[in-house]
Amino acid sequence: MNSRVRVLVVDDSAFFRRRISDFLNQDPGIEVIGTAADGLAAVKEAQRLKPDIITMDVEMPVMDGISAVKRIMLMAPTPIIMFSSLTREGARATLDALEAGAVDFLPKQFDGGSNGTDSVAQVLSRRVLLLGRKKGLCRNAQQPFLQHGRERASASRGEYKLVAIGASTGGPIAIQTLLSTLPGNFSLPILLVVHMPASFTPAYAERLNSQCRITVKEAADGDELHPGCAYLAPGGKQMILDRRGSNAVIRIKESATGQTYKPSVDISLGSAARIYPEGVLAVVLTGMGSDGRQAARLLKEGGSTVWSQDEASCIVYGMPQAVEKAGLSDRVLPLEEIGPMLVRFG
Amino acid sequence: MTIDLNDEILQDFLVEAGEILEQLNQQLVELEQQPDDYDLLNAVFRGFHTIKGGAGFLNIAALVEICHRAEDVFNLLRQGKRQVDARLMDIVLRVLDVLNEMFQRVQSGDEPAPADLELLDALQQLNEPVEQDSEGRDVVTAKVDPETDGSASATEGLVGIESNPIPQEDEEITEAEFEALLDELHGSGKFGGVPVPGTDENGSSSAAEAQGVVSQDEDSRQVAVSNRIPEQQVPSAGAVKGVAAKNESGKKRSSTAETTVRVDTARLDDIMNMVGELVLVRNRLATLKARLGDEEVANAVANLDVVTSDLQNSVMKTRMQPVKKVFGRFPRVVRDLARSLGKEIDLEMFGEDTDLDKNLVEALADPMVHLVRNAVDHGIEQSDQRERVGKSRRGKVILSAAQEGDHILLSIADDGKGMDADVLRRKAVEKGMMDEVLAARLTEKECYNLIFHPGFSTKTEVSDVSGRGVGMDVVKTRIAQMNGTVEIDSESGKGSKIIIKLPLTLAILPTLMVVLGEQPFALPLASVVEIFNLDLERSNVVDGQLTLMVRERALPLFYLRSWLVHPDRQRDIETTGHVVIVNAGGRQVGMVVDYLIGQEEVVIKPLGALLQGLDGMAGATITGDGNIALILDVPGLIRKYAHRH
Repeated sequence: MNSRVRVLVVDDSAFFRRRISDFLNQDPGIEVIGTAADGLAAVKEAQRLKPDIITMDVEMPVMDGISAVKRIMLMAPTPIIMFSSLTREGARATLDALEAGAVDFLPKQFDGGSNGTDSVAQVLSRRVLLLGRKKGLCRNAQQPFLQHGRERASASRGEYKLVAIGASTGGPIAIQTLLSTLPGNFSLPILLVVHMPASFTPAYAERLNSQCRITVKEAADGDELHPGCAYLAPGGKQMILDRRGSNAVIRIKESATGQTYKPSVDISLGSAARIYPEGVLAVVLTGMGSDGRQAARLLKEGGSTVWSQDEASCIVYGMPQAVEKAGLSDRVLPLEEIGPMLVRFG
Repeated sequence: MTIDLNDEILQDFLVEAGEILEQLNQQLVELEQQPDDYDLLNAVFRGFHTIKGGAGFLNIAALVEICHRAEDVFNLLRQGKRQVDARLMDIVLRVLDVLNEMFQRVQSGDEPAPADLELLDALQQLNEPVEQDSEGRDVVTAKVDPETDGSASATEGLVGIESNPIPQEDEEITEAEFEALLDELHGSGKFGGVPVPGTDENGSSSAAEAQGVVSQDEDSRQVAVSNRIPEQQVPSAGAVKGVAAKNESGKKRSSTAETTVRVDTARLDDIMNMVGELVLVRNRLATLKARLGDEEVANAVANLDVVTSDLQNSVMKTRMQPVKKVFGRFPRVVRDLARSLGKEIDLEMFGEDTDLDKNLVEALADPMVHLVRNAVDHGIEQSDQRERVGKSRRGKVILSAAQEGDHILLSIADDGKGMDADVLRRKAVEKGMMDEVLAARLTEKECYNLIFHPGFSTKTEVSDVSGRGVGMDVVKTRIAQMNGTVEIDSESGKGSKIIIKLPLTLAILPTLMVVLGEQPFALPLASVVEIFNLDLERSNVVDGQLTLMVRERALPLFYLRSWLVHPDRQRDIETTGHVVIVNAGGRQVGMVVDYLIGQEEVVIKPLGALLQGLDGMAGATITGDGNIALILDVPGLIRKYAHRH
């Protein structure tokens, strides 16, 4: 392949600069074209080298990673993958960075990866390849999402009981954008499933709650569903619905053997389909992989509705594509239209 | 688990962590002066953070644990949720000591033992913000359920990795399997505690640890508690092997951005030795050239001369390290000592970037520490006393380093009480080192330098800080071993200044070659002050000692030949020859030699077993004309012979 993905590695630790560079350079499709030891240097190098993608540390002297993301997005928009620590503090910083324009994040935790799961190093390489090749990831304000949703089938009428939203890469910001358009008196409860580590979801729920008119909380075992309230599936666990009398309550379960995603969109949305076969309005947003497709099938079989985000407004058109390709999507919508549509149908 | 010291990744880590530890040493002491300095707090935070990251990468659990807690403390500090106080500093400095110990263990290839529980607890207590704010409460939601099976919580660390991996020919489950799974979830729901395939003994061992942590500080419902668990993906030999194996394959494609190579210092030593040999060959050729009188040979030799010098310089540069490596520890030394003595002392350092041969930097550490401790302990007065004599309450110790020609000058100055020459004279007499008449004749400077004599200590009571009366002469011996000199100057009431002069490198020594009888000898050029023709008219015998008047000063004059060549004909005074004035520990002495050959750079070779430890001999070398010359150790010579007149 003549066009290798050109990466700028930013980290204040020479140790990690070398490790990350070594990892990335191992992949024949990737070339580390430069490194920077602090945020300011990163901004300069981003402008000078024009890399396809940047990996960025948070804690750095001179200028921290978040400020650097903001500057880079302003001066030389480039996809940025944040390295974050799996702490509450790290969660906050990561969410700040995503808000500032970073496209994705990874835990900075390189353990062996010898035991069947992918090591961070492998995941990093694959994401760099995928995100670095994708053009137009970094939109600035002048390029709003255009395109209109095309209707595949008329939306199921019916009474919706619940909105369920699933997302992965690019999801945190997409959900934030979507939920902030909903009015405080939104008439349905909302389940939110985003692939995030356990230490991130509390901070993320808190942030959403402070930025949206509806109430957002991290779901807890036994929570009853209330209209106008969104329940974020806690990281590292599985969130399902259970019936209690005529109401539905949330159950938080330990993840089962073999479950790749914790939380899993399939499990939560599939579970919702069991409880309200016809009453779920499901939305599958940006993300890698195909989590959500199994649930979409179950939802469609029961008579519920599934919408998926369109390719143009996705950071990664993976999960919505899986749903759409399987012919399970009732509507394919750009992100900014999903909120108003929810209000209309909800 | 043993640590593979050949692992390049480990070496990388050691280099970086070593630098950070040195910086932390300094930063923490500064922090005590400027407890609110946000940048400093941030820098310290990052220091711990970076070490933790690297140690985590290498699965060095003990390091990760302690750095993690320290990092948490500094996170609170930089957010202003806690203030720096003396207790906190004491604990954090202890942490730094423990880190240094662990670091040394890793350096010697051992897995460090976990830190003291008591210290970890102390750190944990610091981990609670002083004002509980709203964040303190909602943190509880993040707290891991204590009943959660350990292995389950350990897998959380993997969540981040697995959270949204790219599908890899998806180990996709079938529709039936998916529905069975849902059935299962909706049914019994007993999934807790089943380890995910990603976890093996590796995971469970850290789980056990994580569990221990949770129960251990049950009453501290802190961010730290919940946070630590996912990050504590720690030890296992297997994982380290994994990293090492990866490294193997990584080597195939070396990073294009890399511009440095790590070289074993032993290899540098070899190169330096070989360059030394080359210098000898060059010297030899230079001598032969003169004999041949062939112009072309002369040109070639001149070229060789230039190239050899350049090579020698370049190799020397590769071995250079900034003096900072030694200086870096002093803020801490001074701070701790001042605190234990109840003194107030500022330390100022200059010229930390001055480069010095690596071996010298290492050899300097101990003597310098001794001198600095001395300055703090003996030099600087108690604050009250300082005030009484009209000085500022805070004492000052100034360290400086500078290059001067082919030498390095290091000085340690204090603005303390200085030394009183008369007290020193009296002391010397009391100790039986000399009689009163002789003592009275000593100049002030000579008096000050008495402290370098064995068994001379001015402090009446022996403190545990410095001075059992062995220190200063040991310092002097050590510095002499580096072919350096040390002298002291002082002014009563104003302070003292110790000056150390060192060659830039240990391996090659500029000397003055002289001849005594038939034999060549090398005098280290550093100790040579001046040279002139012997003129016995200007000499006198004073009190049985031959002396020479040089610019109104009487210097003792010795015949080197009588010491070194014909010991039995001691009184055979020559009337021709040259006088070399040498500096020996702040005292100038004239030495009569038969002939001068000139300046020559020589490579020091250790003396054979028979001559080893002989006073007055620093080593031997091969001269340009192929002879063997002894290298003289001037202070040693004088110590051995000068009092036997």
